Amino acid sequence: MAEAGTVLYYIVTLFAASIRMAVPLTLAGLGESFSERSGVLNIGLEGIMLSGAFFSFMAAYITQSIIVGVIFGCFGGLLISMIHAYMSFKCYVDQVIVGIALNFFSLGLTSFLFMAYFGRTTTVPQCPVVKPIRIPLLSDIPIVGDVLFNQDIFVYFMIFACFVSYIILYKTVWGTNIDAIGEHPKAADTVGLNVKKTRYITAIINGCLGGLGGAYLTLALLGFFMENITSGKGFIALVVVILGRRHPFGVLFAALLVGAAEALQYRLQTLGSGLPSQVFIMLPYVVTVIVLLFSIGKSNDPAALGISYKRSSR
Amino acid sequence: MVNKLLVIFLVVAFLFTACAKKKAPAGDNVFKVAMLTSGPVNDGGWNAAAYQGLLDIGEKLGFETSYTENVAVADIEAGYIDYASQGYDLIIGHGFEFGDPAVRVGERYPDTKFVAIESNAHSDNVASYRMACKEAGYLMGVLAAEMSTTGKLGIIGGVEQPSIVQVLEAYKIGAKSVNPDIIVYDVYVGTFTDVAKGKEATMAMIDKGADVLSHCANQAGTGAIKAAEEKGLFATGDSYDQNFLAPNTILSSTIYNVPALVLAAATHVKNGTFKGEIIELGTSDGCIDIAPYHELDTKIPEEVKTKIENLKKQIIDGSLVVPSVETRTI
Repeated sequence: MAEAGTVLYYIVTLFAASIRMAVPLTLAGLGESFSERSGVLNIGLEGIMLSGAFFSFMAAYITQSIIVGVIFGCFGGLLISMIHAYMSFKCYVDQVIVGIALNFFSLGLTSFLFMAYFGRTTTVPQCPVVKPIRIPLLSDIPIVGDVLFNQDIFVYFMIFACFVSYIILYKTVWGTNIDAIGEHPKAADTVGLNVKKTRYITAIINGCLGGLGGAYLTLALLGFFMENITSGKGFIALVVVILGRRHPFGVLFAALLVGAAEALQYRLQTLGSGLPSQVFIMLPYVVTVIVLLFSIGKSNDPAALGISYKRSSR
Repeated sequence: MVNKLLVIFLVVAFLFTACAKKKAPAGDNVFKVAMLTSGPVNDGGWNAAAYQGLLDIGEKLGFETSYTENVAVADIEAGYIDYASQGYDLIIGHGFEFGDPAVRVGERYPDTKFVAIESNAHSDNVASYRMACKEAGYLMGVLAAEMSTTGKLGIIGGVEQPSIVQVLEAYKIGAKSVNPDIIVYDVYVGTFTDVAKGKEATMAMIDKGADVLSHCANQAGTGAIKAAEEKGLFATGDSYDQNFLAPNTILSSTIYNVPALVLAAATHVKNGTFKGEIIELGTSDGCIDIAPYHELDTKIPEEVKTKIENLKKQIIDGSLVVPSVETRTI
């Protein structure tokens, strides 16, 4: 490892791996940021991602078209997030409990539908996957260019979505309205903002982006679906939202940090240090806890987060 | 009043049905086998093999079979108790982690036989049936080392536990027997189910120059194969012939003939030769094998194929004993 070139190569491949791991977390995290800023805590993010992964796979498998897969990925996420929205805005059920229930519902539903369609096979059905898109000129920059500008469409979309989210949340009136509703829905309602409508819209954004995060797993990373394919990524995405303080770029960097810790631990294991593998497997979680520790006392949770708004209540 | 009568009627009816249900198993003599698996039985790997074995028991022996999939470690005892209380004759837990709970539950249900696959726990009515998976792991190591051009191999394991470590270590020994200077990267991903992690761990090894990738990580291992396929490298499968996953990538697969193993266990219980100890069956018992080379047959040199064939013969006749290493070495 004495050569500078090799070291650089390791860093670049590590960065590429971090990006791959960060995409589903960022997309889902962005959606959840919108939702939480408007005061809706959707713990069902894991369910949204799983549903997105399943429906995108099924659509892509049946039609052999990635675009249809992406659309159905959004639809799958939307399905779960709309149930959450209906239950918490219309029925005033505790948002956390609905979210937890939806995670289990989604796991059961996708596994059942998958089995119902393919039967108890021992083979793994596969769907088409997106190819990396090379951006001319920029991708020719030595080493770095290949990492940043030779990625699949999801990666570009992730960066695009971060910018758009930033503009919406910080540079538009509507973005301020979302914050107002999350801080004090009654006050917002009094000045004529439509609390329910805004929260439904953020729920739609949450469902679509979360579904896309799940679709990334099936349509870009793997090309197949398996039961519980998200394996807790939705929960990590919830952590990413807190780490990133619901700021689009904060979410992006938090996701990259978690992704980098995960990518790093595999590389450390291959060094053969003789430490038990469990020490390395802990690393991403240790990093998360440490970062959370450093952000103690700086909470910026919306005041009405997780509280259902009832116009007639006092 | 009507409500009260209805409640009484329902309670009485319920009691009757409960009694009727309890009597039923004593009457019929159908041998009942249940299985618990750690993941979904359609994972295209370890659990799929177990499920195939259970189907074979039903078809070939005419036993009544049942299974529960996705049993988390915390739910194993409950899963065992569930079936034992229903009067099942044999309950098979498919994995190392199913051993100790079987011993605990076994004390409460002395008439039920418990078999843990790939475990090391045993008591009067609990046996561990093991396959000498290391034998196939060794052969994969030899094959991978022969096919590598960079002199670097990569293998991912699920969780660092003896049954998995054994295979990975045998793989390393096999690879080193071909080329003492070969570098074998081994990574434990800490999960048997997270496919994305399996793929990412493999990518890390590919980035370091590994050009033949192997796995022993069930569902997560499918990610390893996917990574190798994407990069146009060779891979080896695990548990059973996984060639269909990536025909131009998978050189061969280890075959753990779980059906044969489970069948042996079921037969032992049936004819009374069941013993509460660790029973290891290997290549010579038909429980371990390696898959054919399929499409890649022409890409593997003749002398390599002959070498593998000879090694397999030596394992069967006992002249080659693959050492059993249960702790990870550097």
